[in-house]
Amino acid sequence: MIAENEEYILELLGKGVREHDRDRMQYRDIKIQTGTIPHAEGSAMVDIGNTKVLVGVKLDIGTPLKDKPDEGALVTSAELLPLANAEYETGPPSPESIEFARVVDRGIRAAGVVDTDALFIEKDKVWTAYVDIYVLNYDGNLFDAGTLASVSALLSARMPKYEDEKVIREGNLGKLKTGGIVTSCTFAKVGKNILLDPNANEERIMAGRLTIANDESVLRAMQKGESGSFSYKELTELVDATFDNSKRLRDMIKGAVGD
Amino acid sequence: MKIVLPGDKISDGPVRMENAIVENGKTYATVIGMLDDSKGTFVPLESVWYPRQGDFVIGIVENSKNNVHTVQLDSPFRGLILPPPRPRFGGRDRDRGGMRNEERQEILHVGDVVSSFVRDVRRESDQIILILERPRKLFGGKLVEVRPSKIPRVIGKENTMLRQLEDGTKCTILVGLNGIVWLKGGDAQLAQKAISKIQEEAHISGLTERINEMLAKGVQ
Amino acid sequence: MEGEKPQLMINGKRTDGRMPGDLRPIKIEVGILKNAEGSAYLEWGNNKVLAAVYGPKEAQPKHIADPNRAIIKCRYQMAPFSSLEEHNRSGPNRRAIEISKVTKEVFENVILLDNFPGSEIDVFVEVLQSDGGTRAAGITAAAVAIASSGIPMRDIPYAVSAGKAGEEIILDLNKLEDNYSDADMPVAISPRNGEILLLQMDGSLTKEQCEKAMQLIIKAGETITKVQRAALETRYL
Repeated sequence: MIAENEEYILELLGKGVREHDRDRMQYRDIKIQTGTIPHAEGSAMVDIGNTKVLVGVKLDIGTPLKDKPDEGALVTSAELLPLANAEYETGPPSPESIEFARVVDRGIRAAGVVDTDALFIEKDKVWTAYVDIYVLNYDGNLFDAGTLASVSALLSARMPKYEDEKVIREGNLGKLKTGGIVTSCTFAKVGKNILLDPNANEERIMAGRLTIANDESVLRAMQKGESGSFSYKELTELVDATFDNSKRLRDMIKGAVGD
Repeated sequence: MKIVLPGDKISDGPVRMENAIVENGKTYATVIGMLDDSKGTFVPLESVWYPRQGDFVIGIVENSKNNVHTVQLDSPFRGLILPPPRPRFGGRDRDRGGMRNEERQEILHVGDVVSSFVRDVRRESDQIILILERPRKLFGGKLVEVRPSKIPRVIGKENTMLRQLEDGTKCTILVGLNGIVWLKGGDAQLAQKAISKIQEEAHISGLTERINEMLAKGVQ
Repeated sequence: MEGEKPQLMINGKRTDGRMPGDLRPIKIEVGILKNAEGSAYLEWGNNKVLAAVYGPKEAQPKHIADPNRAIIKCRYQMAPFSSLEEHNRSGPNRRAIEISKVTKEVFENVILLDNFPGSEIDVFVEVLQSDGGTRAAGITAAAVAIASSGIPMRDIPYAVSAGKAGEEIILDLNKLEDNYSDADMPVAISPRNGEILLLQMDGSLTKEQCEKAMQLIIKAGETITKVQRAALETRYL
């Protein structure tokens, strides 16, 4: 970021203003589009402001996890593509991308978005659902965009068939069996301000980040990131703010997947 | 006297002192140390060496380029020995332009052990650089690492401990404040053992007597 | 198989006999690794964890150095023989990389990094035996190791997890509870000001349950902090 931007943002916050006249607890425009990649069993493109994330879901035959022999598996990965941001580099997954994928994964898993019981085929043979998060353009708040896109892609995914030792991916297929809907709200602490849905400029100067994922009734995952801290009081306020915002996010997903 | 730990409150008011920070008008320790409430002193039991002008240090020449020597001081601070000032008029006037004896610098090579003094602590763009002066090449001997917070105990009040060690072992001992001690001659093994003991037991009273005893036994 | 999930609470007690708000016994020994600037060995229930700190030293490679402050490198790892179950392949897996990152962030908050521009501080956590809650154990041990090194820090943080067994909020989950609980929430706190330095959670918690869990964690801090302090002070008594 250009050094002036940092001071500019702090100066704005001093006056209680954010870039593009956003309120502290206001999301940028959110767009969800499903079925972007018809080859994939499920897919979704999510824009939050200029942040653009694509998720593809593929289902393959695999072996169950040792501790869950009667269930299918869920594997979530994230790639911070070099074309998404001048600062992203090629190479093995960075700690940032691993944390990102794991936090999205925990929310999906905890909320039972994928019915893994239904992915069981026979002994030692199950479906594995691969959720691949592709970050196409970075302008902050990947966690919320990644969760929205992953859940939308899963909810709109078709279910391949396994017949005569063959996977059938086309034709008359049903839908992947899913359960709940999880969404997340990510907050950045910049100075004494707490901002919902930080953009890249805000993330670059934030001291701490807090992501809270929930479904209709309960918290499903949380993750604090960066060196900054949050007080207990702030945590409880942000839990409330998350519950306040999440209905709208769930409704957007439902709208996008045609529920 | 009591032990305080990082985060413990030292004072209800703001006190600018080493090894402490002020937050919201109160002063908190940042290292383990002994606090004397009556005197208001806080002496660290463990600390990281932070260089000051005039500090005597020992290190190893790591790099030599264009007559500038980089010295590894076993710390995050890089030592630099700059080339000595050139005689201004080709030595025509010895009194004005020529080097005085003490300014003449020995030729240093990579791997040499040197002692020197910190002339300047400079915050360069990417790290803190120590400009070193009066370098002296140390031949032979042995280097021992000592925790920088224990160095004052190895030296002792007005050099008493150091003198005691030198007398007791007939060893030449140079103590770098950066936590490197150089031992040469005499019973260096005994000196090293004694220094380890000082390091381990620095906080237990009667240290001088115990070291005396140890040296007396070791010498026989 | 469904229904095989073990019962975690029997007559109000946990499988290892603890009450919901009880910690497992914690022991910490300081300075057992002589090469490190600071080290600590911690036993927390059946967890056995070593933590060590090196530095500050010149940051290597040079391009990772931050001209304004020290950087922290952190490595959390579980030994291949640490688990009662199968052999763990050594080397950093995705879980270990994430834990290393969040552990590093805890110490970035408390160490006075500005004092050592251009340098690095290395924090190592090796889990020798694991029984649930190893990241909290690692942070608690590393905090003591760093304090024992003389590297200046704002406070000595501690960490512990809370979770949910059925509808009961429980503190300090062991491996069995960790595997079958309905929620797990590891938290690190700076006891001086109560600030939350690490917060992760997954499973299912209502807002009230989350608050109950935080309260148990804050209460447990009194005990954990006492053990940390005693380990550090005993060297000088």
